[in-house]
Amino acid sequence: MDCRGSFCPGPITELFKAYRSAQLGDVIELWATDPAAKADIAAWAQKSGNELQNVSEEQGYVRILVKVTKKRS
Amino acid sequence: MEHIVVVGSGDGGTFTANLLASELGKEIRDGLVSLQLVGEHLEHPFQPGNLDIAFKGAAPRKYLRDESRLLRKGVEFLHDPAALIDFRQRMVSTKGGKILPFDHLVIATGAVADPTIIPGLAQGALNFHTGPEDSSKIWKALQDFKEGTVVVAIASAPHKCPPSPNEAAFMLDEFFRKKGIREKVRIRFLTPYPRAYPAERVSEVVAPMFDEKGIEVTTFFNVDKVDPEHKKITSMEGESFDYDLLIAIPPHHGADVVVRSGIGDSDGYVPTDKGTMKVLGQPGVYAIGDATNIPVSKSGVVAHLQSVVVAHNIVNEARGTHDELAYNGRINCPMEVGAHRAIFVSATYASPPEDQSPSTIKYIEKRSFAMIYWRALNGSLERVFDMFFGPTRFPVEELQEAKTA
Repeated sequence: MDCRGSFCPGPITELFKAYRSAQLGDVIELWATDPAAKADIAAWAQKSGNELQNVSEEQGYVRILVKVTKKRS
Repeated sequence: MEHIVVVGSGDGGTFTANLLASELGKEIRDGLVSLQLVGEHLEHPFQPGNLDIAFKGAAPRKYLRDESRLLRKGVEFLHDPAALIDFRQRMVSTKGGKILPFDHLVIATGAVADPTIIPGLAQGALNFHTGPEDSSKIWKALQDFKEGTVVVAIASAPHKCPPSPNEAAFMLDEFFRKKGIREKVRIRFLTPYPRAYPAERVSEVVAPMFDEKGIEVTTFFNVDKVDPEHKKITSMEGESFDYDLLIAIPPHHGADVVVRSGIGDSDGYVPTDKGTMKVLGQPGVYAIGDATNIPVSKSGVVAHLQSVVVAHNIVNEARGTHDELAYNGRINCPMEVGAHRAIFVSATYASPPEDQSPSTIKYIEKRSFAMIYWRALNGSLERVFDMFFGPTRFPVEELQEAKTA
């Protein structure tokens, strides 16, 4: 999901859209420039029991990988 | 003759058509320009009025007007919903079988609140996003409510009028206090966002007020399903809550005509340039308001401000002049917080919302807008709005200069 240039709630909304259609084991990759995206997504992963697999600073944006390890349906 | 077609007769479509009729009146009278507005409904709603219908008992018809009476001379209103938008043939076909060729097209088809997307939601929840009649069902339910748990849930994002779920919680709190049964009612607020309001600075104002009023917030709650029989709402994250009355903001998607025409993204929103409001890759085609995919609030104010840009740019194209404008992302969403006070969520693309104190003046501003909405649709209040909103648009050259800098 390329969310660069989109501010809260843009990146996390895109994450939820991907999560809604994801299967267990899928990895969601999200690119964001919103400074709040990293903390918001980390908090969501912790609360929902999903795995924040990797966060890396790229040139001008942050790349976030979330592995879907918990989902009701 | 130049053909201008506006599809959708909500706030953005009606206002754009009126601005074009005002600017191009002579060309229309001289037969050089045709201006057609394609709409599905004979009556035009003031959508923010749904909150008053739901939580203050306003009559459902209070916020409806005949569409034809809102239009300027020169606008040909076709009460005949668009069936297909064909970019390749540059024409719109209607359900009634009309074929409307266009040189300039405005897509103002809005967003659809659709409770049927989430299992059990349509049966288990009431809402104030699908029209005045559905909003009045909330008011009726509140009259019989004596005690128990009321849940306000945002089923998924994005949705129309971002502050409206918070307003609903504040208005519920006020309703039950006035009724003298607040201590018997638990109000839960379920949101998919990380905080009580998605924008952090606004949440810093709203969250303490929710605390003070005893409105309980659960964050990161993406509604997965509702069990109407057992009155239970469950999230994709695995949490469940019981309710006695559920008021849910339904998931939204783009208009059926956009989906059917294959011109939207996966959610049915039209890919649009967030400055010029041009539909990507389609010369002479614009989209405004809730119909677009741009990352800005789905609200009437946004549609209104984008309409000014689009009408200007179409006049510019029709006359062959070169002073194109771009929208700067200005939003200005009022949020009523109870006790005749309100805040405004205001921002642009370049500046996120600021924190602010709730005030009665802001409440009066919000209420005043409900009264002047109908006049605002014909464009006669633009000077007042320009003063009120400040900068909302800029010459497109500045955008190009910024990109090349």
